[in-house]
Amino acid sequence: MKRLTAFLAYTVAVLTIAVAVVGPLVWFGVFSRAAAKTSLRIDSTYTGGEPARVISRQGYEIVVYKPVRKHTPLATTGSFVQMVWKPASALPPAISEPVDLDGDGQPDCVVSFQAPRDPKAKLRVTVKPLTALVQPMNEVGKESFSSLIARVNDTIVVRVPLR
Amino acid sequence: MGGVAEALALGFGSGPVCIASCGPVLLPWLGAEPRELRATSRLLALFLGGRLAGYLAFAVVAWAAGLALPVDAHTRTLIFGLANFGLAALLGFSALVPRRACARPADEPRTHLYQISSRDRSRPPAALTLGFLTGLNLCPPFVTAGVRAAAARSLPGALMFFTFFFAGTAVWFLPALAVSPLRRFSAVPAVARMTMAALAVYYAYLGVVCVASWRLGASRAANLVISRMVSHA
Amino acid sequence: MPDQARRSVLAPRRGTGRSLLLTVPMAVFTLLLFTPSLRQPGAAAKLAALLAWTFMIALFFLMMRTGQTYRWRRIFFVALGFLFPIGFVWDLIALRSSMSIPMERMISGDTPFCFMVIPMTLIPAALTKTIIFPGSILPTPSNPHSIAMMVALWLLATVILGKAWCSYGCFFGGLDEGFSSIAKKARLPKINPKWRMAPWAILVAIVLLSAATFEPVYCMWLCPFKTVTEFPQVRSFETALQFGIFITLFLGLVVVLPFLTKRRTQCAFFCPFGAFQSIFSRTSIFDVRIDKEKCGAGCLLCRNSCPTLAIDQDAIRAGKPLSTCMRCGACVDVCRKDAAVWHIKGTPVGVKPEQARLLYLYAAWVFATMFGGSIIANSLHKLIGLIV
Repeated sequence: MKRLTAFLAYTVAVLTIAVAVVGPLVWFGVFSRAAAKTSLRIDSTYTGGEPARVISRQGYEIVVYKPVRKHTPLATTGSFVQMVWKPASALPPAISEPVDLDGDGQPDCVVSFQAPRDPKAKLRVTVKPLTALVQPMNEVGKESFSSLIARVNDTIVVRVPLR
Repeated sequence: MGGVAEALALGFGSGPVCIASCGPVLLPWLGAEPRELRATSRLLALFLGGRLAGYLAFAVVAWAAGLALPVDAHTRTLIFGLANFGLAALLGFSALVPRRACARPADEPRTHLYQISSRDRSRPPAALTLGFLTGLNLCPPFVTAGVRAAAARSLPGALMFFTFFFAGTAVWFLPALAVSPLRRFSAVPAVARMTMAALAVYYAYLGVVCVASWRLGASRAANLVISRMVSHA
Repeated sequence: MPDQARRSVLAPRRGTGRSLLLTVPMAVFTLLLFTPSLRQPGAAAKLAALLAWTFMIALFFLMMRTGQTYRWRRIFFVALGFLFPIGFVWDLIALRSSMSIPMERMISGDTPFCFMVIPMTLIPAALTKTIIFPGSILPTPSNPHSIAMMVALWLLATVILGKAWCSYGCFFGGLDEGFSSIAKKARLPKINPKWRMAPWAILVAIVLLSAATFEPVYCMWLCPFKTVTEFPQVRSFETALQFGIFITLFLGLVVVLPFLTKRRTQCAFFCPFGAFQSIFSRTSIFDVRIDKEKCGAGCLLCRNSCPTLAIDQDAIRAGKPLSTCMRCGACVDVCRKDAAVWHIKGTPVGVKPEQARLLYLYAAWVFATMFGGSIIANSLHKLIGLIV
């Protein structure tokens, strides 16, 4: 029995070496494919949640996302709704338009910001609520994950805190 | 009957948020002292009782005012801050102040009853207080239950709704009893106490931020200066 | 390693021929894994890859020749610890001219994933199937350090190395190992062993708080290595406070205390990932044992040499170090009675320990070369690019 255990132990030790050699060649690809098939996703605090609807404008569109709720009482990021203007390169120099956030046909807020061509230019957004859905924002930059305007690749992302 | 089922279902669905929020306070505290499963269950029940008391305190005021939430956001910030200070103090005290052996006269005979009562003297108040303080940190499921309870026709109706909601969340706390068998490892109580000390610092910081935010007012300038920590559903 | 216990680490244990013979398989295995690095375009990249590979093989040869492990492993590990930030920060500066992470990068999922985050993500992922980290699940052109890749790497390392990740894989550990090696004598020789429990307390605290806040609490508040990699932009009092904590912890735990104590204080008394990895110390087939019959008098050289206080009187009586043992080899190399030995689980203790050591080193060094060696090559590439 002891000899069998020792034999198995040495076999596992040798197999460990084989895993160390061959593993990096096959394992990463296998695991990545398996990970892609799971329903795991990045937390909505960072991604902004899932798109709800697209509002078409002349030359660009506004993607309105589903509201992201504060996850737990101790979470530092509050509830917000994300809107994305794209493509940023096709936007007029100034944007000021009403946006319907909940899809009821009535605009919930007026979003205003400058859209300079320079991608490194600082952005500021002002949001005037038209309903009780969102909080006002006055010349806000990147205050927090629930209250910001930022240029991400060729889009302009605005997040408005919910009441 | 429908209201009971609704309250239970709402509570059960909200349970993960509740145990996630209360876990940092409850689990290290349960792990800190060697104790049998039966005594752990009693302490957990006391903790949950204190938590229920915290919820019901808001529920009574909410129903009387006819509001989902009894106080405005600004005042809630102060309440959260003070509750966090209380949690920090209790966790820190439990972590750092060693429990002394029972002092009794040498000629007094040992009795099982004496030893149990001496050992448990400080535990029930601490369990109740911890539960009450965590109950004061309002969570989104609580707010939802508050909206529903505020619509009840009578105060007993509102309280009953809340109690069944609470029972639904309490189911998720039963796995906390799994801490009990872990205490056979001698390092567990020491690790638990160190954890409580670390968490006391965190809750103290939360308390400072909440009170500072209340003091400066919930303005954008205050948030920029202090923190973005205070935000509500 | 304490002065009074130092053997002649350069005294040969086996001849040059036999040492070379044992090194050849390692050279072949690692060349296979290093081929992508050697095929990179540009002379500087090829030279860097070749230098890194040669460095690793040379150290392995010395391990075979001298029969010592700790000293040569430490050279690799310290090199990895100091070179990793160079390459990493270089890439950051080239990409965005700053070590700070702007929110845009977090929103677009371009934050490189670090293995330290793994324990914090487990409960939120189990409850909600979300990863509380601003990265990407799969590699992208702008973020090759994806969550899937790092988790796959960690799983592979855990199977091969177990807790020895802290001696062969962690690209941060070499920093405090390096600073702990500077002084000849410890100025603070006595450390209360109760501090060994601190990493467990921090692990429990950050796991519970991350579940309570749905945020990676350790990354936001406690990681000392943010100082030498990347950190959120300082935009408020809170982020300024966080940055202050990072610097204080780095200077205290990674630089000053290791220098004063000659121990890996960050790894032994703070790192929650080390505590997490201790849970998996049994996954590897290799470990260190203490042959109680040979040990006898109790010189305690092993205890005094352990960088992480994983050996104490109880461990010696039990015949094995604590689960926090990083398999660094310090105790084995310092033991005069060959009582502390490498061991394969399931085999008798002290029977053919050199065989156990060889098999262990083959597995560990292949992994180290594949992972750490490629990081060293990347950093050398940047440095050579400065000169050439």
